[in-house]
Amino acid sequence: MEIIQLSWLQLAFGFIILIIPAAIFWWYNTGLNRKMVIATIRMTLQLLFVGYYLEYLFEYDNTWLNLAWIMVMVVVADFATIDRSDLKTTRSLVIPIFWATFLGIVLINLFFLELVIQLPNFLEAQYAIPITGMVLGNCLRSNVIGINEFYYNLKENNERYLFYLASGATRSEALYPFFQRALQKSANPTLAGMATIGLVSLPGMMTGQILSGSSPMTAIQYQIMIMLAIFSGTILSVFLAILFCNRAVFFDNDMLDESIFKE
Amino acid sequence: MLLQAKHINFSYGEETIFHDFSFGVERGERVVLKGESGGGKSTLMRLLLGFEIPDTGELMYNGSPLEGKHLRHFRRECAWLPQDLNFGTGRVDEVIKYPFHFKQSGNQMPENNQIIDILSDLGLDAEVLDKEFTDLSTGQRQRVGIALCILLDKPVLLLDEPTSALDEASKEKAAHHLLSDPARTVLSTSHDPFWIEKCSRIIDLNSVPDKTGS
Repeated sequence: MEIIQLSWLQLAFGFIILIIPAAIFWWYNTGLNRKMVIATIRMTLQLLFVGYYLEYLFEYDNTWLNLAWIMVMVVVADFATIDRSDLKTTRSLVIPIFWATFLGIVLINLFFLELVIQLPNFLEAQYAIPITGMVLGNCLRSNVIGINEFYYNLKENNERYLFYLASGATRSEALYPFFQRALQKSANPTLAGMATIGLVSLPGMMTGQILSGSSPMTAIQYQIMIMLAIFSGTILSVFLAILFCNRAVFFDNDMLDESIFKE
Repeated sequence: MLLQAKHINFSYGEETIFHDFSFGVERGERVVLKGESGGGKSTLMRLLLGFEIPDTGELMYNGSPLEGKHLRHFRRECAWLPQDLNFGTGRVDEVIKYPFHFKQSGNQMPENNQIIDILSDLGLDAEVLDKEFTDLSTGQRQRVGIALCILLDKPVLLLDEPTSALDEASKEKAAHHLLSDPARTVLSTSHDPFWIEKCSRIIDLNSVPDKTGS
């Protein structure tokens, strides 16, 4: 089964459908049309840029080049995580979150790409780049939920943390309930997604594979694998992000450095 | 001296809370701090527990400065009742039992009967154990906190307004549990004449010029 190649003209024609949301926004005076135009232009340019870059990456398929691209993705995800959270962009958060995300991705990639799929070439672009992208996108979302929940819950219920410290808890024992809550909050969206996948929604990766000619069963096998990668990757990166950040955001007397919070 | 503050200076921003403040508590003493709200009573407990750091001066426990491993040792030897105990989410049962899992603290997990008896002395039914902590009233939270301090059975107690939300009968029982052991050292804050009378020494922070202590 061959995929129908889209011409640029066909793609341009597809933009006409935006008339419908634009008309609805205009009728209800939502003020969202300008935002919609900017978001559409950004989406198109960013994806075109990535498309050209990936063509180049796939053509050369060099392990070091692929690794460098993964590093760039992790750095962008790192800053985006802090930007989307309610915490300040400080060294004490940027560096730990970078390492947490990077280690999470490396472990997931090594397991799935090298042990499960058993790629003939290490970090082969066709597999490594899309899988890393999907896992990273989800890590970003979970990290934002996880670190926000952890530090804001700690700020809000600080007396509980102090009470435990004053009852002889080590810092990690006193932080345990906050860790527990942050993991629950960040895991819930992915768990809910896993529980309804295929019934409510057909995931993008599987749809893309079917469109490009794979058999539905092959697409489903990859989808199951990617869901396992996303779930374990997100939990690992949330766990490591909080663990690593905690080494940098507490003073010697176990008090949290509250300068990490946005005013 | 078991607990000692030497020439403490401490400010919140521009506001001076303690200026060259010194005081001491002997082992087995039951000291109550009196003074107006915002006068530094609760802050003194937070300073001793290492939650705040004095600008200058020294805090000691058993002859050792309250820093690093000595601070952690002190925290293992004491129980603290803050004025407004807020544990956030979690069942009362979990809240009470969690501190008994701390590995280095030496806390022995109490029997359920023991927990229920102490809660009952403080005017709480056993059913409270199944409730969410956030669903409790301020008074009920304070009773749970007192029960925890009793169950933890530590040689030093730091109690911030321990009887402010208790009725007369519960006050008597709480005082009995908290103050009857002569080996236990208790530093408390209170405006309650009942509690003040039960203590062996009063430090009135209002009468201390520049809070220089006694």
